[in-house]
Amino acid sequence: MSEAGGSGDFSSPRSSGSDCSRPSLPSTSRNGAVSEHKQQRLSGGLGRPRPPASEDEEEEEEPEVAWGRPRRPESAEATGGGDERSRRMIRNQYRELIYSVQQNREDMLNSKSNKLTEALEEANKLFSGVSCAREAALDAQFLVLASNLGKEKANELHSEMTAFDSPAYAEDLLTFMGLNRIEVEEKDSDNEGISGGYLPSNAWHKLGSEAEKYFRRAPSFHYMLGSFKADPPVPRQRIERQKKTTGREEKRAMPAQLKKMEESHQEATEKEVERILGFLQTHFKNDPDAPISFFDLVIDPNSFARTVENIFHVSFIIRDGFARLKLDEDKLPVIEPAKDDEGNEDDRSAQVRNQAVISLSHQEWKEIVETFEITEPVIGPPCNSNEDEMEIA
Amino acid sequence: MSQRKRSKGSGFSQGEEEDDDYIPSQTQTQALSQGPRNLERHSQEQVDQKVSELVQFLLVKDQKKIPIKRSDILKKVIGEYKDVYSEIVNRAGRTLQQVFGLQLVEIDTKHHVYILISTLPRTEGDNLRQDDQTAKLGLLTVILSFIFMKGNSAKDGAVWEFLRRLRVHPGERHEIFGDVKKLVMEEFVRQKYLEISPIPLTDPVEFKFQWGPRATKETSKKEMLHFVAKIQGKDPSFWTSQFKEVEGP
Repeated sequence: MSEAGGSGDFSSPRSSGSDCSRPSLPSTSRNGAVSEHKQQRLSGGLGRPRPPASEDEEEEEEPEVAWGRPRRPESAEATGGGDERSRRMIRNQYRELIYSVQQNREDMLNSKSNKLTEALEEANKLFSGVSCAREAALDAQFLVLASNLGKEKANELHSEMTAFDSPAYAEDLLTFMGLNRIEVEEKDSDNEGISGGYLPSNAWHKLGSEAEKYFRRAPSFHYMLGSFKADPPVPRQRIERQKKTTGREEKRAMPAQLKKMEESHQEATEKEVERILGFLQTHFKNDPDAPISFFDLVIDPNSFARTVENIFHVSFIIRDGFARLKLDEDKLPVIEPAKDDEGNEDDRSAQVRNQAVISLSHQEWKEIVETFEITEPVIGPPCNSNEDEMEIA
Repeated sequence: MSQRKRSKGSGFSQGEEEDDDYIPSQTQTQALSQGPRNLERHSQEQVDQKVSELVQFLLVKDQKKIPIKRSDILKKVIGEYKDVYSEIVNRAGRTLQQVFGLQLVEIDTKHHVYILISTLPRTEGDNLRQDDQTAKLGLLTVILSFIFMKGNSAKDGAVWEFLRRLRVHPGERHEIFGDVKKLVMEEFVRQKYLEISPIPLTDPVEFKFQWGPRATKETSKKEMLHFVAKIQGKDPSFWTSQFKEVEGP
């Protein structure tokens, strides 16, 4: 495992005398010598389960880089063992380090802070425990991050802009907004950037009011007494249109149906009338001289409404002269069919036409049912238009 | 040219030849000869009416601070009076200025987009109403000042990190601002306060925050520097390079 040949070359630029007989782990973004290492490493390492052989690896000492990352030489054996758990821990620590650097970029960039250096040192420490490619890759990732930050820091130094201390600005903003700083214990490093304290609910309004002075914003124009809102009419229109369209469709369907319906209506009425007339005539054929009691005919003991309907239909018969209504000896109304000769010859002139208004209240209807002991309707319900179902009282 | 305008309008009929393709007097002559679809002559009352309508339209449209497009103006207000468009717009602008102290500014000369800004100096106790718009303006000012102090451009990561210190998080629902990310990346952009563009060759994609044209008109770098100075209790000249930039020649 020890490929002394390759690493030997690399050891010369190192400052501190560390054990450099072993191959070094590949790292990122160094000079071209890296690739050589990588090749060696890869060729050695691939396809073989990496035993946690501490004697294999050792930390690498990079050549001095611009930002002077110090390297503490450390024997790999100290952190060896390299079992899965510790490797996982190392990976986690790397990830945490990377995350915290990403989250606190501004802090790192601040020219006054040493945080970047501290982070690098911590990574350095972690790296000493690294023995496998996975952790090394994380180390590489971190180094990319750190180097980008370093570059930005350098840019800021060169730029014309006076360094703008944004954390301080944030603090001042919070103060202005009325942050009530209370005693807060030291939070862990994740919340480094956040001050403790209670921010009142009008904090942003207060800031906005101040900010307004620096703007030439046109005030929002609103009618003082409000106005008709533009929105509601639109849905109403839609609804109306929908109604209209459905209405139209109905109408279109209507004529086709209407005829039928109206016919049926008329038919219904006429049919009813005819039915009753037919029934009457049948009855009188059988029994020519027996007038039917009006009440017996029309009253439906089960339904007041139908009673009224029956009276309605009977009135047509009387109007057309097919039957006559008169009072018998007991002053009770009876119906008898009109005799043909009377009806046709003299047309209307001979007939004495009287108008009568019959009123029937619910109460009266009930009393009639009781008094005359009407138990079943003589005129059956319209849907059962079979005359068979009619009973002759 | 002369037949286009009645006496009142003749002053600026020829002066401003905005890049209107449909306004030049050629259309007028053509219209005359072809049997005009639009009225050849608009009565003074009608034009006055249109001016008033346009003033109202602009005022209402500005409520949400979304810039007003010329196409909307033409469609909703001008209609058949296209040939006297310039006159109507100019007169409306004058009315806005004289009556309301507002200025109609074109922030995009290519696409013809307008905003209204105030021309009146601010006084103490100017606006006593504090509502959501006020709070949003506070947030916006924070962002604009940050962008400026960082050299007129800032990465989205930096902006959000800064806002985090003020307890504003893009992923969380804010008590006052609600969906902050949407507010910043959509509403402020639509209102032309901010310009957010992706940085090429970044993966995952990162965005660059800059001032939008409305911000440039409604406020200024100098104002923002003074704002920062006030907040931090320092003199604006403390930040030499920014100071130079705003006071510069």
